[in-house]
This record gives sequence, C-alpha cells and structure tokens, in this order.
Amino acid sequence: MGWFSSAPKKEEGAPNRQDRQKCWEARDAYFACLDDAGVVKAGEEGKACSKEKRLYEDNCARSWIDYFNQRRIIAEAQKDRLSRVSEKK
Amino acid sequence: MLSIARTSLQHSSRRVLSIARPIHTPCRPFTQPTPLKQAPATRNVPKIQRRNYSQIPERNSIGAFTPTSAALFVLAGVGLYFYFRHEKARLAEEREKERGLKSFGRPNIGGPFSLTTHDGKPFTEKDLNGKWSMVYFGFTNCPDICPAELDKVTAVLNNIQKEHGDIFLPVFISVDPARDTLPQMAQYLQDFHPSLVGLVGGYDETKAVCKAYRVYFSTPPNADPKGDYLVDHSIFVYLMDPKGEFVEAFGQNVSQEEIEAKINDAITEWQKETGKKV
Repeated sequence: MGWFSSAPKKEEGAPNRQDRQKCWEARDAYFACLDDAGVVKAGEEGKACSKEKRLYEDNCARSWIDYFNQRRIIAEAQKDRLSRVSEKK
Repeated sequence: MLSIARTSLQHSSRRVLSIARPIHTPCRPFTQPTPLKQAPATRNVPKIQRRNYSQIPERNSIGAFTPTSAALFVLAGVGLYFYFRHEKARLAEEREKERGLKSFGRPNIGGPFSLTTHDGKPFTEKDLNGKWSMVYFGFTNCPDICPAELDKVTAVLNNIQKEHGDIFLPVFISVDPARDTLPQMAQYLQDFHPSLVGLVGGYDETKAVCKAYRVYFSTPPNADPKGDYLVDHSIFVYLMDPKGEFVEAFGQNVSQEEIEAKINDAITEWQKETGKKV
C-alpha cells in the first residue's frame, strides 16, 4: 500500500518510482471521476468519488494531494482563460 | 597559348599601319588615350608609341612564360600562401579574444560549495572540474517535477555518454536538508541514471550552494524531519563546462533532444578551443 496511509510500510524514506506511479494513477482516476461529476475543486464532489478518493489518499502523501488538488484548480482556470481567448479570436 | 599567338600576329601586322593611323583597341594597354586637341599630350605620344611597339615583337617571340614571370608567379603564390596563413591565425586570435570577452558576459552561476555525496564522501565545486556537469536541485519527496526532470537527465545522459564516453558528472543537490538523509538520497537515485551523484548538506551549506547557483528554495531552517511538506524551488538544469563555468540553463520546457543538441554544440565548441572534449 501507500507510504503515508494508516498502515504505512515505510515510516520514513521517500517514495520510489513504483510508489510515485501508484500515486499518480490513483490521482488520475480520482480526477477523472471529478471530471465526470463536473467538479473542479476536490472535496466538493460529495460522495460521488469516495472509492477513488480513498485510493488517492492511501497512495499519496497529504502534501502531494494538496499540491495536485491546487494545481488542478489552477489548470482548470487556465483552460477557461485559454478557451475564452480563442473564442475572442 | 593559341590566343596569345594570334594577338601577337595582329600586333606585328598592324605595326606598319599604326604609324599612320590612330592606335587600335588591342593596343590600348600600351598607350595613353589622349585627346588629339591637347597639344602637350600629343607631343608625347609618338615617343611612347615608338618605344612600346619596338618592344612587342621581342616579347612575343619569347612568349608569356619567361623565367622571370614564372618566378613572379611562384613568388606571388608563396606570398599569398603566407598571407592567408597569417590572416587565418589573426582571425583565430580575434575569435579567441571574443570568446574571452564572451566568458566575461556569462551569468555568474556556480561557485564554491561543500556538501556530502549520497555515499558519504565530501564533495566540493572542485570535484566538478574536468567533466561536463549537469547540476539539478530538488528533493526526494518531490511529487512530480523532480522525477520527471531527472528522467529527462537520465535519457540525455544515456545518449550523450554513448556518443562522447564517460565525460559527464551529473549531480542532484538536495534543497531539503531536514529530510533528505544520505541513505534516502542513495535509495532515491537508484531510480535514475547510475552516474548521478546525490549531494546533501546542512541547512547553511544548502543555502550557500543555492545562492551560488541562484536557486530559490523554500525549506525553513527548522523543518521537521518527519514532516509532510513540499519544497518550492527553482527547477533549472545547469550545464557547466569542465572548468566549472556556467554554459546553459535548461528549464522544464526544454526537450531532451534540445538539451542533447546544446550539449553537443558546447562540446564541439570546447573541442575547437582546446583540442579536447574535457
């Protein structure tokens, strides 16, 4: 399982390539679910993606989760701005 | 040769006529095109004509290739050869000077530092000398950018080592002194190119090396070694030459191919200057 979950295998030490891969995959699955639910800000989806969310939180460190969630909001805002710019053209 | 013979024939046949008639075009090189109305000029013309034309048959009978002209030809050739050699040397010197000036214009990136390698050996900026080094800053708990950049560096190293041999020294400098222990660095680097050297220092040493490379990093001095936090930091890969001088900084958006091309160019340039690859 993850390295920062309730039962972490490695108390210390950074995630290795496999750990990172697992975290990224869980994140992508969760974000895909958020996309389907039409939610940008993680946590506002209610109970729609609870399974994906648990996997995400099991496989990624809290700091990573905060970072990815924040980046998702920034990326969406950027997408919005870009599409608005191209519409104007 | 044939054309020379023909013109010489024409000259000799016209010789008689030329006394009575104005000079014809083929002979122009031997005379001054002087208008007849000017009295002082016309007075001189016959004298010049006589001397020139009396010499033509003799010259033509010997031909264009006299020992003197051959000697002149060779002399001119030798002269030109030395002239061009001199010019080439002068231009090379000028270029060298320009390069010297260019290095004055380089950004002042890099400088003294004192850290420890992931296998516990001391490491200073002097250890970078004699190799082409790529310097990258990051931390082992980095979510995505550091591993992606280190993967890119690994791919670049695979290719350029194949081409140039073992003349590269890539280093990964930790900006997270509180959490990045030596064993953790060693374990982390197993995922990347084997020639990567992980460098760790205390907070002050880390701050010093970041300052030398103009790298920003956000770890507070009293960070919790067991804390779960991210370190915001600059994400350039610096290319340093074998003298330890800054060559180029590659941002995240520079592709693997572009980095390889830049490094190849830098090595070619260096080889032109020094005759060696490192």
